Amino acid sequence: MSKTLTVAWREFRHTAMTKAFLIGAVIMPLLMMGLFIVVMPLMMEANTTPMTGTVAIIAPDDVVQEFQERLHSKENPNAELIEQLPDIVKQDPLASSMLTHSASNTTNIVLHRASITEVEQLKEDVRNGDLAALIVVPDSLLGNQTSETNDRLEVLIPSSFSPNHTDLLSSAVAKSVVDVRLSRLGYEPSEMYDMVRRPRVAATRLTHDGGEKEDNEAARRIIPMAFMMLLWIATFTSGNYLLTTTIEEKGNKVMEVLLSAVSPLQLLGGKILGQAGVSFIMLLMYGGAAIAGLITFALLDLVPISHLLYLVAYFTMAYFMIASIMAAVGSAVTELRDAQSLIGPIMIILIIPLALWPVLSEHPNGIIATVSSFTPPLIPFVMILRITASTETIAAWQIILSMVIGFGAVLGMIWGCARIFRIGVLMQGKPPSFLQLLRWIRQG
Amino acid sequence: MTAAIEIRNVSKSFGDTKAVIDLDLEVPTGSLCGFLGPNGAGKSTTIRMLMSIIHADSGSVQVLGTSALKAKDRIGYLPEERGVYRKMKVGGFVEYIGKLKGVRSSILRKRIDEWLERVELPEIRNRRCEELSKGMQQKVQFLAAIIHEPELIILDEPFSGLDPVNARVIGGIIDELHQQGRTILFSTHVLPQAEQICNRIIMIDEGKKVLDGTVNAIQAQFDPRVISVEPVDKNCDLSKIAGTTLVENTIKSNHLLLRLDDQIDATEVLRKIVQTTPVRGIEIVKPTLDEVFIEQVARRRGTKAADQIREELSNV
Repeated sequence: MSKTLTVAWREFRHTAMTKAFLIGAVIMPLLMMGLFIVVMPLMMEANTTPMTGTVAIIAPDDVVQEFQERLHSKENPNAELIEQLPDIVKQDPLASSMLTHSASNTTNIVLHRASITEVEQLKEDVRNGDLAALIVVPDSLLGNQTSETNDRLEVLIPSSFSPNHTDLLSSAVAKSVVDVRLSRLGYEPSEMYDMVRRPRVAATRLTHDGGEKEDNEAARRIIPMAFMMLLWIATFTSGNYLLTTTIEEKGNKVMEVLLSAVSPLQLLGGKILGQAGVSFIMLLMYGGAAIAGLITFALLDLVPISHLLYLVAYFTMAYFMIASIMAAVGSAVTELRDAQSLIGPIMIILIIPLALWPVLSEHPNGIIATVSSFTPPLIPFVMILRITASTETIAAWQIILSMVIGFGAVLGMIWGCARIFRIGVLMQGKPPSFLQLLRWIRQG
Repeated sequence: MTAAIEIRNVSKSFGDTKAVIDLDLEVPTGSLCGFLGPNGAGKSTTIRMLMSIIHADSGSVQVLGTSALKAKDRIGYLPEERGVYRKMKVGGFVEYIGKLKGVRSSILRKRIDEWLERVELPEIRNRRCEELSKGMQQKVQFLAAIIHEPELIILDEPFSGLDPVNARVIGGIIDELHQQGRTILFSTHVLPQAEQICNRIIMIDEGKKVLDGTVNAIQAQFDPRVISVEPVDKNCDLSKIAGTTLVENTIKSNHLLLRLDDQIDATEVLRKIVQTTPVRGIEIVKPTLDEVFIEQVARRRGTKAADQIREELSNV
């Protein structure tokens, strides 16, 4: 066992303690976490800087008055939009800060009424920074808008003007124009808004177990994909490392020296264990970055702890399946390009869960999802997708059966791949065909 | 004396190719044994079976009184195909192999420093293997093979690729390890090298043992077929002596070597040479291992195969 651990430690050390790995698998996720936890809130904080200065407006009296009231009102100009958002987003501090910046933003604006004859001079003042903005509302915009018109409401701003402040002014003046139109026709704008405001829709799923679950469409589609991709990235990256290090050991002829000290099984075991550590670090780092993102957007309750436990279990299954395949292929060839032809058919099978993602997440308990979740080597990828996508709890017998078949398949694959590895590591020259690999399993 | 290596009726095939056929051999403990044969004779296959890298189809392989697998950590092995981890540092590489052979890191670190001094490379410990010359890499691999102080050392072509100076350094260490009582199996197809170093020879051809014994005993077994002549007149013509062939590239510039044809009486030829030209010295020389081997091949496979082997050996 100590020899296996010695091999494992070397494999881990020479993969994980390299600049390339540290940058790709450790520093990048840490930067992502930093971005979610520190930078984005700071950026949002910066966006709430109040707008100051003088805004010149050329518009009819009632529009100017309405605009003035809107600018100094405590009502959030995005209130209507926010009303339509799901509760989960409304409760998020970061999302709220992105949407609620009206009152404090506008209190320092001074409104200057101007005449159309001054337009050129006012534009110059905007360019020079003497004016924060110039707004021009043509009279034609206050008539019946069903008729064709080329007139536009113009908001002229300096080149360095904040996009948020631009939105603020544009939204306030556009709404003021609509308010004035309604008023001129004898309607009360606030009543009209109440009439046309769409009611909130609360979709709730009634599950077979008698429970109720609020539906969150976006999360229902994205989170399962994120879980599956996490499995993919973690297992295939280290699987690739395993493939290349095995080919390297064959290519630089160090294999025979190693086999004079350890058995092929000890070597295979050590290499797989070492890369398991590499893979687990990747899972932790990228999973950690994703969780940091969820925390920042207050979406953590979308991922129950049981899902994380399933992730670890199916990660273990997926890793050993992929690792044994990669080690076997690596042992059978002497150059990386030869490996591609052997890995190709396996990749076509393993890419099925990715290709079927929309179907599987739409019908996580459908016949395709159920059958593929008992089919090695698709089991870990499909099951994690089903578990995280399904609004109903996946039947316990299905999870248990997938574990039994999956880990049984892991043992079988390790056994078969070990037999290929034993023969393959000493072979040189022409790469074997797929059928030859099967023959090696029989001979090994 | 007990046997460090004992192989009984071992055969090994790869598909239709029979690499080793019913091989029987013993290597006494403490001997420095040459394991000889041309390319493709079955040497590397036999060695791989001794290292339990591959397993015999039939027969038994005992090493250091136990199975080859159990004896693995007590054997040092320098394979013919050299290999190092290119990105690893020299110290790290030797330490890794030593640890795989069951030696603790603390002991290994001290040993590595000592051995790097011995092979005149004290400064390379922290250099990556890829930064070393081929000769330096070979020395590093040699150290990796002996760092765990094995009882049996198997060296497959240890001098190939080494310049004469480095070959002498490694040769000196091999000799020293032998003096310490370790058993050394030295595989090569350069027969004169083995003749100089080894006290015992095992020769195989086409997977079968053809010779086994001490160098002197083997040479004594074979009828001397070469006469060395030092003529007074360097320009004398001895090519007309019946029943002989002049051997080119003699070991000394003023000596001529004549190979006796089959069935020719050596004493008769000696008499004819002396009658033809005055000589400072004349002797019947002991057969070299090359000649012994060629004769063995001729006996088993005919003169055509022997000529082919002679040509191969002259190209080494």
